[in-house]
Amino acid sequence: MPLLDVKDLKAGYGPVNVLDGMHLHVDQGEFVVMLGANGAGKTTTMRAISGLIPRHGSIVFEGHDIHKASADSIVRSGIAQVPQGRGTFPELSVEDNLLAGAYVRHGGDGVHDDMDKWFAVFPRLAERRAQRAGSLSGGEQQMLAIARALMSRPKLLLCDEPSLGLAPLITQELFAVLERLNRDEGLSVLLVEQNANLAMHIANRVYLLETGQIVASGSAEELGADDAIRKAYLGF
Amino acid sequence: MKSLATIREGGAANWAFRIAATVVVFALVLYVPTKTGAGTIQTAIEALVLMGAAMSLNLLLGYTGQISIGHSAFLGMGAYTTGILVSRYGWSPWYTFPVAFVLSFALGVIVSFPASRIKGVYLALVTLALALVFPQVVTWKKLSWLTGGGSGLPTKDAQVADTGFNIGAASRGQMQYFEIFGWNPLGDLRKPDNKAAFWYWIAVGVVVIIYLVCRGLVKSRVGRSMVAIRDNETAAAVMGVNLVATKAFVFGISAGLCALPGCVTAIKTGGVSPEGIQSLTVRGAITFLIVMVVGGAGSLWGPIIGAAVYVYVTDITGGWASDEAIPGVLRPFFGWAKIPPSDGIFAVLLIVLMFVAPRGLVGVWRQYSPRIVRVLPRPAGTTGAAPVAIAATITNTHSEGEHE
Repeated sequence: MPLLDVKDLKAGYGPVNVLDGMHLHVDQGEFVVMLGANGAGKTTTMRAISGLIPRHGSIVFEGHDIHKASADSIVRSGIAQVPQGRGTFPELSVEDNLLAGAYVRHGGDGVHDDMDKWFAVFPRLAERRAQRAGSLSGGEQQMLAIARALMSRPKLLLCDEPSLGLAPLITQELFAVLERLNRDEGLSVLLVEQNANLAMHIANRVYLLETGQIVASGSAEELGADDAIRKAYLGF
Repeated sequence: MKSLATIREGGAANWAFRIAATVVVFALVLYVPTKTGAGTIQTAIEALVLMGAAMSLNLLLGYTGQISIGHSAFLGMGAYTTGILVSRYGWSPWYTFPVAFVLSFALGVIVSFPASRIKGVYLALVTLALALVFPQVVTWKKLSWLTGGGSGLPTKDAQVADTGFNIGAASRGQMQYFEIFGWNPLGDLRKPDNKAAFWYWIAVGVVVIIYLVCRGLVKSRVGRSMVAIRDNETAAAVMGVNLVATKAFVFGISAGLCALPGCVTAIKTGGVSPEGIQSLTVRGAITFLIVMVVGGAGSLWGPIIGAAVYVYVTDITGGWASDEAIPGVLRPFFGWAKIPPSDGIFAVLLIVLMFVAPRGLVGVWRQYSPRIVRVLPRPAGTTGAAPVAIAATITNTHSEGEHE
């Protein structure tokens, strides 16, 4: 049974459905990348899974249908999202951002241990732990957003275009961390990207999204080997 | 940025500063009722009422980012609750405080439900409607059996008005002494100075309670979720913050706390009507907003400082009744008005402040005080020698930043 199984998902804003019956699944411990151009529905998919927008269809997480659940109960059930852009709280300190990430964990059990753990993974955040998050650089903020999402001890991490507005070197560093989390911690990841090259390297499986539907899926090698797909969607 | 001195949070110098600040605040609070007359004390009570209202608004707007131009209605809930329960049902005013809190909390939660679906200027308009409707409702003829209609409360017992709802006494008639375990600190309450001092201490108590609630809330897990909602609603939602419930709770607490200074106003005035108490009208709501912004939104001391400055400035300039009373420099600008120029002068001051101190007076303090003394923060969750090491890291990163 997949960890996350999405079937016939329809979602959008107002009367317009951006997603029109999409299917996807993420297995336990898998690193899945979803590629698509602007407006393909990547962010909408993330928002629909996280419960931020109204949606129809079935979203089954660990055997429970969560398509009607509220955003906070979805976080509680073990799905954390790193929102698009600099999703940090600029007026809170780095530490308080992380504590906010542990919001759904009642009581202080292990919260500070987790914080130290993520400070070890992201040493630059440790140096700036008392600073305002708004004073960090773009890459540091993105790392903070990921660390903050991890503070809720998720089973599935949703990453919405973490490379947006970051220098290629920083993006590489970021993806290396995500790969390590997936490999060492067994964290399942669903990541959406426009940056096909980098993301495909670390993916177990890739989905191609176009105008609200999955048009192709498979391993990175399979998709990369298909000339038509490569030219049309991957751009290399 | 160079600073003259660097001290560590929690260190001896830091504590010395904290103790000094506490002593100054205590001295000011004690000075007013013991060394000044009834007039100054009354003005101080106005300032305290404004502090309470602005602090409760600050929870909602400063910390959670939800605007309200309707807090005058919550203050009014407090004033009318006290007025009705005391003058119609013979309650002791002390017991009306918790009732006012609960009723206003409920009204706040009700208002929060439409409010949690709308944002910014639309929310401003909805809450503005609340401020405009409130005086209409309480002066409505069909409700005059309860609220006293246009003439307000109290309507049947003129004697009650004399000591302000005849505080603390079980039976009607004037209460003469306020005693704690047989100790009578204030003397005969029928003397105007003592009476004013008595109300003053009630107002101080209310402000202290509101401050403690705000402080406890802001530094808690709920406080972090409030700031999270203000800074980034989407991110707050994917952290698991229940937006609707949190906003409803903050609206409720903010409204409930705002009712408490309303009770004080009712007690002090000895009668309640929108004409008698301007804070019950939309003018009050806007004043709370101004006071909060001038002092510094999103800081605990901002509304307190803002209210003190606002009342001080409007009180002094309000006394300039004739052109001759206006100081020479300002006379050409405000002399023509033929009325005390307090509103005009404060308006000009407000515009200047918004340029000089867009984050309020507390913002100015935060920006410029590090040039004199920098306080190194102590990270949470570390004890013993660790803070020193981390403080050193922070200083290093700061000095690196300077070279860039």
